[in-house]
Amino acid sequence: MPLLLLPAALLVCVMMMAPMVLLFRYSLNLYSPTQLMVEALSPANYLNAVRDPYYRDVLGTTLWVALLCTLLALAAGFPAGYALARMRGRWKAWLTLLTIFPLMVGNVVRAAGWMTLLGNTGMLNAALRGLGLVGEPVQIMYTTGAVVIGIVTVVLPYMILTLASVIESIPRSVEEAAANMGARPFTVFRRVVFPLSLPGVVAGSALVFILCMNAYATPVLLGGSQFKMMAPAVYDQFVRTTNWPFGAALAFILLFVTLGLTMAGSALLQRRYRG
Amino acid sequence: MSSLSLQGLRRTYSATVAVDRVDLDMAQGELVALLGPSGCGKTTTLRMVAGFVLPSAGRVLIGGQDVSRAPPYARDTGMVFQGYALFPHMTVADNVGFGLEMRRVGRAERATRIAEALRLVRLDGLAERRPAQLSGGQQQRVALARALVVNPSVFLLDEPLSNLDARLRAEVRVEIRALQQRLGLTTLFVTHDQEEALTMADRLVVMDRGRVRQTGSPEELYERPDNLFVASFLGRCNIFRGTVERPGRLRAGTAALPCDGGAPGERSALVVRPERVAIVPGEAGEGGLPGRVGLVTYLGGLTDWHIDTPAGPVLVTRPTPAEGDALRRLSPGAPVRLDWTEAAGRLLADDEHTADKHRQGDPR
Repeated sequence: MPLLLLPAALLVCVMMMAPMVLLFRYSLNLYSPTQLMVEALSPANYLNAVRDPYYRDVLGTTLWVALLCTLLALAAGFPAGYALARMRGRWKAWLTLLTIFPLMVGNVVRAAGWMTLLGNTGMLNAALRGLGLVGEPVQIMYTTGAVVIGIVTVVLPYMILTLASVIESIPRSVEEAAANMGARPFTVFRRVVFPLSLPGVVAGSALVFILCMNAYATPVLLGGSQFKMMAPAVYDQFVRTTNWPFGAALAFILLFVTLGLTMAGSALLQRRYRG
Repeated sequence: MSSLSLQGLRRTYSATVAVDRVDLDMAQGELVALLGPSGCGKTTTLRMVAGFVLPSAGRVLIGGQDVSRAPPYARDTGMVFQGYALFPHMTVADNVGFGLEMRRVGRAERATRIAEALRLVRLDGLAERRPAQLSGGQQQRVALARALVVNPSVFLLDEPLSNLDARLRAEVRVEIRALQQRLGLTTLFVTHDQEEALTMADRLVVMDRGRVRQTGSPEELYERPDNLFVASFLGRCNIFRGTVERPGRLRAGTAALPCDGGAPGERSALVVRPERVAIVPGEAGEGGLPGRVGLVTYLGGLTDWHIDTPAGPVLVTRPTPAEGDALRRLSPGAPVRLDWTEAAGRLLADDEHTADKHRQGDPR
């Protein structure tokens, strides 16, 4: 068996760990506008990033957008995941395919779709104006709302599929037993289905939260230039200002915050419902 | 007023009729077993009582109240599921207490009743365990306690013994029956195991293809089956097909067989239980059915003789004779005569299928 792990392990080590180690080393270097990267072993980039109110703000925005999107995806994904898990036969195959379908379209293409839909001259505003509901176009594009809508639609399939696979493993008879004991549908959900689907809730939320924290195309295209999340900020450092050490530091801050919060959140959820 | 009453119950799934015209009235404290081969509609019937399946037609009355359209949580039934369906994330005590909690029973009373129910199923001391930490038999008893503790109007059991090994099954069977009688619970029990049904139930309802074939006490159904299906499904039997010669005699080929009445000229099937057939060694003697010994199977207390006769193969089961008895010395090929009383030969209409497992010609 260990032999079977070798190709994957090698791939991860060479293709992922090595660049990460290199990037971490960069993050300890210093930046000079003339020489670009200067060898050093200094925490200055990290300290600057944490002290700078601008980047604190970017991290804050990233965090709360990611949290909000995760919660929305969970709220929308649970009923869908449940329905999918309890479905039988041909319908199930079709709807599973339909759930995966959005993943076949790239994030950029999808964001472009939202732009034509939500823009000031887009379909939604045209419809609202045509119906006489509003006089002036409603500003949706380049707001946080547009970014949240965009990200939720990107991550929703992951949430639904993760939840559905876990809910499928809960025997129907357990729900029936609860109903038989006098539990109404919502109580069955609260006391039996939700606690038993917790592994799915944790896995789905962790996966989705990580995707949201690292969202790039959607915030750039739907949020506009005034809206900043961490992934676009890292990109800016590397490509626009060519400050690699600072960009690397930002990347690692993003990585550690995401990792820390995901682990803390999972532990909290699991502890809460174990009893 | 009946404790549980099913009236013209029917359930269809698109073109197929799963349950049709099921009528049943159960008295308080009665245990009725729904018995039949798989796909006969017994489980669907039980699920209509619990409220998991809504009837296409007919009514379900619990304590005189029409609950045909009521959701499961409003029916006051206590069900033991085939796979037990315990809540894996709750302790044994929480599992058992769930129904009480739903009925808003106070914490203190709940604790008393949980302890009482666990004592009843001999699980005291395991209250804080999780279902996964229990053996199959213990899980089964938790499921029983969970359904019993709410003191339901109707106690429902869906093949509750099918996941237990044979030894445990016999034990739990006795236990369930004792509990049910002590608590006076009106109980509807689904099984495909005739031994289970015969030993536990006050009354049996034998079902086939969605219909009730006969309802009655175990003795009635075994001794006086209404039709070939019931006769062949319950226990083992020999079936002879022929024409009634005169009341009391059925002509099957060259043989004239004793039977309980009949109208001359009628095409009929004659059913005789293997333990009602007498064997007389030798060719001498008048009347009865001549034959030759085929396979002899020693079963300990009982012995099976497979006899080849002009009317087809006949299975005879008798208490194993003492050593030295003439019967004991019968070896394959030996000539014998078979006989039974007229009352032991049950005459039935020969117009339908039998339960496949015991068809004449391949007695088990």
